[in-house]
Amino acid sequence: MKNGKLWLLNTVLFISALLTGTVTAAPDEKITVMNPRGIMPAIKQIPMADRPGSLDGKTIYIVDTKFANTKPFVIAVRDNLAAAYPKTTWISIDKVGGYMQDDPNLWAEIKAKGHGAIVLLGH
Amino acid sequence: MGVPTVSMVTMAFNELATSTAFKKGMPGLRVTLTPHPITGRTTEESNVYLKSNDPVSGKPMLEQIVAGLRDKLAEQDKHAGIIERGERPRLLPPDTADNLQQMFQDKLWTDGLPVILPTEEKVQAMLKGTSHKPDEIVGEMRPSGPHEAWKFTVEMVATNAVMAGAKPEYLPVLLAIAATGQTSLFSSTSSFARMAVVNGPIRDEIQMNSSIGALGPFNQANAAIGRAWTLISKNLGGSGMPGSTYLGSTGNPLNYGNMTFPEAEESLPEGWEPLHVQKGFKKDESVVSIFSGWSFNTIAWFSPLPLQDVIKNWLTHFFSFGTGSATIILDPIVAVELKHNGFASKQQFADYLIEKSANPGWLYWSTHEEDYKKAKEGVEPFASYLKLGETAEIPVSRYVRMPPRGAPAGTPPRNPVEVLAVGGGTNLYWSGGDFSHVVSASIDKWR
Repeated sequence: MKNGKLWLLNTVLFISALLTGTVTAAPDEKITVMNPRGIMPAIKQIPMADRPGSLDGKTIYIVDTKFANTKPFVIAVRDNLAAAYPKTTWISIDKVGGYMQDDPNLWAEIKAKGHGAIVLLGH
Repeated sequence: MGVPTVSMVTMAFNELATSTAFKKGMPGLRVTLTPHPITGRTTEESNVYLKSNDPVSGKPMLEQIVAGLRDKLAEQDKHAGIIERGERPRLLPPDTADNLQQMFQDKLWTDGLPVILPTEEKVQAMLKGTSHKPDEIVGEMRPSGPHEAWKFTVEMVATNAVMAGAKPEYLPVLLAIAATGQTSLFSSTSSFARMAVVNGPIRDEIQMNSSIGALGPFNQANAAIGRAWTLISKNLGGSGMPGSTYLGSTGNPLNYGNMTFPEAEESLPEGWEPLHVQKGFKKDESVVSIFSGWSFNTIAWFSPLPLQDVIKNWLTHFFSFGTGSATIILDPIVAVELKHNGFASKQQFADYLIEKSANPGWLYWSTHEEDYKKAKEGVEPFASYLKLGETAEIPVSRYVRMPPRGAPAGTPPRNPVEVLAVGGGTNLYWSGGDFSHVVSASIDKWR
């Protein structure tokens, strides 16, 4: 009889807890949740351009993306490379527009007249 | 480009350069790092840097550049094909609630605060807030232009809505925000903020607050929608990884709630249209509008001058990162006073600010270098402007009607000053900041 009352009491408490939403997972109980992350795109790998083995007699463009107040560094890159590697022609050139803007005409010029490029810089 | 290429980047952007090269399909891109920052360095300082080593690889900088252009490639650099990103499981492996909370924090899937764990049951309940199918693609989002875009479904938006503490009835607002593709965590070193303004009947249906404390932490819908946008941006828009997809130097506290509020349409004076009507929607449509900027000031300044001139003079001298656009948020009783002062519509007041706001000299010359050169050469009117001094007002508005930066040809000019109304009318307060309108989108299509 005593056990019966205890069982009844526990049942009432459990149901009332359910109704009031106070039942929570035990600390060691495992639950399953949804993945909150989105769908990343596939990456199409682009083969890198073959390297020549030597830059002697080659023309390399130094492309300035024109981040504010970096021109002295860009010129210094050109001058230091020219001093250290005089058999290579180093041409510094500004890309059109801001640093976020594409410049397909310049890329075409470099491909037609050059053998490589250094693209810099920012901040 | 099709020719050997080396990128030079300052060392603060090492992770960004590496991750971007990978995502663009060239994981072996040769990158030479310089000390940071380079901006403002003299020729002498630059020479010292260039004769030293790459600060990360430890190799001499010039030799590393040349080697990147010259030396034969490794076989893996010549590969073409698809790089696998791994399967995306719909459900995460089972674990305890505490462990899952910690995992969400460790992976930076939250805003730094605990989230509601998105069990399948809670997400199913959230999905009752829309008629759209769970597997429908909502759109795509990226941290900023050069980054890759991630796609996401209705169910994925609902999952993040649960995490933020949203109710199912908020879901159409979140789907509309997500479908714009606008991240709330725009990646730039300048720590952008975003704002979401809700108009139309849904404001009352989901009990948003446009009255006292509307911009503060006093309403579940305002707060949860704003928070969910941040979680959506991180988890569905690929944003918010410091160093790679988030570069804001100081960060921005506005990103927590993204200034999400409904416009106080009913309190607008007669003739003043709600924002969504200004943007071409019908009054009975529910619409969310996205704004982008950096900062806001809240002001109540009592002056013998008319209110419109107090605001105009403040706007003249307000300086922030984005000085070319502004949004003024008026308490509705300020709007009523401006109407009383003769401004028959919001746009008329905005036009007054656009036309009459001037430029302090120091700001004008720092943003108009060509004019400064002309002034020095005696060319008028610039020469006369320069004689006024650095602190005088140059009579040229800095709020110019022009198409958004980078917009395709033919894009109509944006409104450089926007005016909104929200607040409880407890005082003649107004706020101003450098926010500009980005896009307005229908909420109703996501019901």
